[in-house]
Amino acid sequence: MRRYDRRMCRILAYLGEPLPVRSLLFDTDNSLVRQSYSPRMMNTFLNLAGFGMKAWDPTSLRPDDPFTYRATTLPSFDRNLRFLASKLAPTCLVAHVRGVTYSGEAVVADTNLHPFQFTGTRVALAHNGHLRQFAGMRYSLVEHVEPALAARIEGTTDSEWIYALVLSQLDDPYGVPETRELADATANALRILRRVRAAHGIDTSSPVNLCVSTGRALVATRFSFDYGWYPREDEMLETDLPFVSLWYAIGGEYAVRDDAWRMTAGEPPRSVIIASEPLTTDSSTWLEVPEYSMLTAELVPGGLEFETRDLDV
Amino acid sequence: MSDREAADFLATVPLLEGWAEADLAALARVLRRRTVREGEVLWRQGDAAREALFVVDGAVSISLQLPADRTVEIGRAGPGQLLGEIALLDGQGHTMSVHVAETATVLALGRLDFADLLAGRHPAAFVLKRRLAALLTGRLRDQLRYLAGSLGGGPPAPPGRDAASSLADLEPCPPPDSRYVRRMATFHDFDPLALWGFLTSGAYVRCPPGRTLVAEGTPSAAYCLTINGAVEKVLVRGDRRIRVGLAGPGKAFGYESLIDGGPSPLAAVSRERAVLLVIPHDVFDQLYRREDAVGRVFVDAIQRDLLVTVRQTLRPYARLASSV
Repeated sequence: MRRYDRRMCRILAYLGEPLPVRSLLFDTDNSLVRQSYSPRMMNTFLNLAGFGMKAWDPTSLRPDDPFTYRATTLPSFDRNLRFLASKLAPTCLVAHVRGVTYSGEAVVADTNLHPFQFTGTRVALAHNGHLRQFAGMRYSLVEHVEPALAARIEGTTDSEWIYALVLSQLDDPYGVPETRELADATANALRILRRVRAAHGIDTSSPVNLCVSTGRALVATRFSFDYGWYPREDEMLETDLPFVSLWYAIGGEYAVRDDAWRMTAGEPPRSVIIASEPLTTDSSTWLEVPEYSMLTAELVPGGLEFETRDLDV
Repeated sequence: MSDREAADFLATVPLLEGWAEADLAALARVLRRRTVREGEVLWRQGDAAREALFVVDGAVSISLQLPADRTVEIGRAGPGQLLGEIALLDGQGHTMSVHVAETATVLALGRLDFADLLAGRHPAAFVLKRRLAALLTGRLRDQLRYLAGSLGGGPPAPPGRDAASSLADLEPCPPPDSRYVRRMATFHDFDPLALWGFLTSGAYVRCPPGRTLVAEGTPSAAYCLTINGAVEKVLVRGDRRIRVGLAGPGKAFGYESLIDGGPSPLAAVSRERAVLLVIPHDVFDQLYRREDAVGRVFVDAIQRDLLVTVRQTLRPYARLASSV
């Protein structure tokens, strides 16, 4: 039987008012760290293959460089992460817990942990999803990736290639792109992937939920190639049948009100959280990102510019 | 209120129309009467459901909690109306909050008694299931009217081709592997033989992306079940197009107008190439009215789909309201 390497992770992105990282990673009843061992929207799969985050704090030294933390240990038992998360209060965060197929072939390694950010670049990316039959198409992506960027790919994931592909669509892969350029680069990368998949006859469901950030702006996708089509011999269909989830909460600030974590009112909005699952079991203050959509958010004087659009690639 | 008075009231409830006197009396005996005062919160959105309520008199307000501490009243319910059935049926939290607008009398039907009503194999249980499907279709139409109203603009002009010809053009294909279909959440726990009876009642077709399969405002020609791929359920008003839901594998579309005879409240457009099971209107009617294992599976599948669709329809409303 042919095996498909599926990775179903959980992602989180935040942009807005300075917010303690622990509020997002640990404090809520469905926090990102809790989603590593008890995800609510994935019944048969856990995310035990490591944790990573990038956190941008404008008051820190070299504010364009994010704090970076990655570890293959379980984040729920990681005291260093807990201590750090209590001290950091960034204005932007991208974090990820990694899930891999329960198989001896899966590679659990630091080099495979998201978010990816090549040294010297200003863009970081985390991915929730998987490109089916990636091994068959990987080397056809080389022609679409800047050689200097391709040379920096260290790990074995499809996600790092998607990252290199997004960077390669920017005018300057080492600069800070405008939000629109970053959004266009992300959409272009998906178009290239669609073409390469077609060239290889790959036509089965491959979710690509992305969080891409410069620290000042966020681009997120809720997207899948060929949603609803599965290889006949697929053994873990239940994880793939629903469209991979993505939610957001937008408003003033994320805080405890009436003994519950919620996004407070804010007009114009000043903060947004984008996450694979709502960070609280009460999801009434969260909105589901429409399928086949792209979200963009950017910090501007006085608040946050936020937009949702259909992603037709 | 005596059991007799409760039974007399139940005889006026549209959902129970035509029930035998003895059945109404039996139902009256398990209901608990309560007086609820103006301003009292009966439940909040997201709360676990413990009971459904028949409103005897007075009025209650139904509201949707929105992000950033906002609330919008979606409607009111009065004498003869049922509340809370969605959360009891799908086991998730209440879809909206309910508080008492005018002091009211309600009859409460507990979760287990509600399940008992639907679990029987007697004709009344089949009738009740069909009425609940019609009730849920009505709820869906109400929510879509609200959503369309918030979009502004008029509905799209009827298409030149009708939905029947749009479906008839599609290329026939073989049925899917039964093991694949049984993995779909929609069909979990169903009797496999009865499920197969339903799944072999129509024709399987391939559909290219971008095909309008159901046009809003026109009668639907068939019940369609997505086997592979995805079909968008959309509302269009002026230059605004809102995706209300996505019918991926195991999800259906096009059945609302077959249930209540009204025009289709939504358009259905294939987003991905798709394989569909198409059950024409006349076959739908036969399946829907069958009072055997196949009919039971069919109506239960429709009910599951309606429950998902009703919840999905609230998502864009919340997004729109929060972006105003």
